[in-house]
Amino acid sequence: MEKISVIIDGKTLHAVKDRCVLQVARENGIYIPSLCYNSEVESSGGSCRVCLVEAHQGGRMRLVTSCNYPVRAGLEVKTDTPLVRRIRRGVLELLLARVPDSEVIREMAAREGVTEVRFRRDEGENERYKCIACALCTHVCAEVVGVHAIAMTERGADKKPATPYHKPSEVCIGCGACAYACPTGAITMKETDGVRRIWGKDFPMVRCSVCGAPHIPEAQVDWIVKRTGKDRAFFDKCPDHR
Amino acid sequence: MGAINSIEQLESYRRELASKVRADLPTVMVCFGTGCQANGSRLVAEAFMRVIEEQGLKVGVNLGIKTTGCHGYCENGPLVALKPQDLLYLKVKPEDVAEIVEETVKGGRVVERLVYRDKITEELVARYSEIPFYKHQHRIALRHIGTIDPTSIDDYILVGGYSGLAKALTMKPEELISEVERSGLRGRGGGGFPTGTKWRSCAAVDSDVRYVMCNGDEGDPGAFMDRSIMEGDPHSVIEGMIIGALAVGSHQGYIYVRDEYPLAVKNLTSALEAAREKGFLGPDILGSGFAFDIKISRGGGAFVCGESSALMRSVEGNVGEPRAKYIRSVERGLYNRPTVLNNVETWANVPEIILKGADWYAGMGTERSKGTKVFSLVGKVNNTGLVEVPMGITIRELVENIGGGVLGGKRFKAVQTGGPSGGCIPERLADLPIDFDSLTEAGSMMGSGGIIVMDEDTCMVDVARYFTAFLVEESCGKCTPCRDGLPRMLDLLNDITEGRGGDEHVAMLEELCDLLTWGALCGLGTSAANPVLSTIKYFREEYDAHIKERRCPAGVCKALITYSIDAEACTGCRLCAKKCPQECISGERKKPHVIDTTRCIKCGVCKDVCAYDAVRVS
Amino acid sequence: MVEVSVFDRIIERYERSEESLLAILQDFQREFHYVPEEGIRRLSEVLRVPESKIYAMGTFYKALSLTPRGRHVVKVCTGTACHLKGAPQILEALERELGVKRNGTTEDGEYTLECVNCVGACAMAPVTLVDEEYHGQTRASKVMDIIRKRTEE
Repeated sequence: MEKISVIIDGKTLHAVKDRCVLQVARENGIYIPSLCYNSEVESSGGSCRVCLVEAHQGGRMRLVTSCNYPVRAGLEVKTDTPLVRRIRRGVLELLLARVPDSEVIREMAAREGVTEVRFRRDEGENERYKCIACALCTHVCAEVVGVHAIAMTERGADKKPATPYHKPSEVCIGCGACAYACPTGAITMKETDGVRRIWGKDFPMVRCSVCGAPHIPEAQVDWIVKRTGKDRAFFDKCPDHR
Repeated sequence: MGAINSIEQLESYRRELASKVRADLPTVMVCFGTGCQANGSRLVAEAFMRVIEEQGLKVGVNLGIKTTGCHGYCENGPLVALKPQDLLYLKVKPEDVAEIVEETVKGGRVVERLVYRDKITEELVARYSEIPFYKHQHRIALRHIGTIDPTSIDDYILVGGYSGLAKALTMKPEELISEVERSGLRGRGGGGFPTGTKWRSCAAVDSDVRYVMCNGDEGDPGAFMDRSIMEGDPHSVIEGMIIGALAVGSHQGYIYVRDEYPLAVKNLTSALEAAREKGFLGPDILGSGFAFDIKISRGGGAFVCGESSALMRSVEGNVGEPRAKYIRSVERGLYNRPTVLNNVETWANVPEIILKGADWYAGMGTERSKGTKVFSLVGKVNNTGLVEVPMGITIRELVENIGGGVLGGKRFKAVQTGGPSGGCIPERLADLPIDFDSLTEAGSMMGSGGIIVMDEDTCMVDVARYFTAFLVEESCGKCTPCRDGLPRMLDLLNDITEGRGGDEHVAMLEELCDLLTWGALCGLGTSAANPVLSTIKYFREEYDAHIKERRCPAGVCKALITYSIDAEACTGCRLCAKKCPQECISGERKKPHVIDTTRCIKCGVCKDVCAYDAVRVS
Repeated sequence: MVEVSVFDRIIERYERSEESLLAILQDFQREFHYVPEEGIRRLSEVLRVPESKIYAMGTFYKALSLTPRGRHVVKVCTGTACHLKGAPQILEALERELGVKRNGTTEDGEYTLECVNCVGACAMAPVTLVDEEYHGQTRASKVMDIIRKRTEE
């Protein structure tokens, strides 16, 4: 791995070439807000725009998303200029107008001094109450889990993750990875009496043979067994009792 | 005949075609562009066939007939051009055909009522090349349109087609690239990026696979030059792409065509087949050993797919969402391979540049914008259609000399250029020479060359609202500023045009514009502010009139206008009363009528049907 | 319910690659006047592409419709030139006369009213399309006559 040096907020840092600015900043304790990016998910990032920073290179300045802008030799990044703060505040105000009930957005916006929305509130449907349409859930489902149960549908302000025809998905395994990854907690996943409900579908859970706690959906076990050839008996016990 | 296997064979084939053509043979050319077909040109062509069949035997008239692509003067269609007389007949109907054959073809006389009549001087102009609309033009990209049959490859070869390719096959890739660089050709799709530089960057990337693509997703409303070229001269685009492929070393090309252009898809498809058959495409082009072929990809009705990265995603079979261009498509484009993407008009220029040389092309235009540009001159102007002129012509020359001035003698207010990414340029800047840089400096953009003329009846706030609504509908929704910022901008503009605007509205609009310009992911979003910012900049007084006086000076914004009938002009013909959907117009026959404004829905039907211009909007 | 073989006949016209997805969906649209759910499912099976992805395309591209359209599709061009020359009045007149909003289909399934962002026939503005046939210089007061004449033929 080729190492290069970059300047972030005046500090010279050594970093792996082509790693994204956001990761390098995080490794060095520099805060840049971020929502739609997850370093484990290759195609994530680039959509929420809260991580915009100034990139100075070759005598040129651009505002770039730090989550997918690669570090190269000679790059200087500024994460806290008046321009960065102005645009970041603008993005957060729009997100707040969209999902005023999201604690994550409220906190992040407050940190930037945005507590009120001057724009008309988005009168969206309930299902996207906290959804900022960042697509991370769909990337996780497709790339990490590999089942492609959900995708980003519609366009413009109506963009939202959904199963085909908003019906219970035939391929969803109820793993909940989408819900864990969602930055704003917009995907509801509920468990009652050993049944998990997510994306409008019920998934009976396997109960631990030791403690009796439901710990993994049967459909997910089927999927893992089919994909990896792992012994089904492995899932008889929950992670705590294996 | 089958494939042509060498440059020599191409030339002998061309000579053979030429020997069969009789220069003295009169030919009628019926325009088969989308516009003329809509006006019934198919029936006109059929009438000619019938007359020729009936009379040809009897009187011995030998008349060739062919159907051509769009002349770009669609408003006056169906258009019929006649050779060798160099005549252009406008608005030809099937019933005119017998007379044209009798008078013009046999008798050599002009049928005056079908001839162009200048709207101001009333002068009749029969010769095609003398009509003001065409006289000032210099056609390169449109060189064959209206004179050749786009469905006949022989027609294209006869006028010198594929000789640019033949020459290119004798040149090294490096020579081709530097020729295009020296020509100064810049991308005609909007951005104006230097074409040669793009080719060079692509060729420099180490890769075994490269793609050459044509952007035919002409989405800017008001621009239709690419449609005209794809429909009317598809081989010029194909030839340009083959030359581009030779230059960068590509073996596979793609043409992405808008779904709204079915005739373009049809003509391109048949042109590709013909080119394959003749050996201009395939494993061994003109016996040179060079292999290249082209696929057509149909768009699906999404404006954002005109953006290069979204277009490539769409071709790959995905939703057309753009992605960050921190790595350029010349390095990682289609399927992450180095890709050259140029638009239709750019490709159509390439064969001529190779054939006639960079110096010839660079001799036209302005210092930084070389060559000619096709503009679609539409809106409130007398002569609407496609116009190709050297870069650097002024807006005023375009509107007044070629366009024949503003429709109905109204006051010329502004032109809109660049579609939803462009802006409005006021009349006081109409002496601005049109090139890539001057339009950008004025807060607009060249875009694909749509020039939409606006008059005193155009409300500039409504124009800003119109483009913002367009973009709200076309935003892909991937990034926050565009997805959530544009609807908020539209809310504000709706407030203003509906009489709810407050003092803070313009400032908030400007703030959102700033956010989009800096924060959006792709060009659709970063340029989305232009229609709003340019109208605020040049027409602030109209915003103020809407906000402070609750008045729409142009009489467009429905919430701020009332309809009434001018008692002096009204003849009491009853037509408006009959047509009013609300039945809220009353009055006796031959006496002035009155509109009940409490029930009026301002649909405009009364104004539309009134033959005496008695309906007033205030 | 459409027979699977009908979808297969369309799918077979194209290369078995993701590149063909949009073209196949458009052919479905032309054949059935919308993209049926079973068609998306079949396409997913044959091309081995996730159904969620094809469904997403169906919702993204305006040329595709996931619900049946009317027997006749009336499109009002809302390009800039048409807008300036009266497209909003034409759209309103059609909404009023047909009793549907844009993108709506009349109750009897006869007409679907749509808008299209420029058909590139700006020199004939304002343009209305009735079943893909272009009508230039249309006027709000006359547009219904054109539609009736055209669809009653």
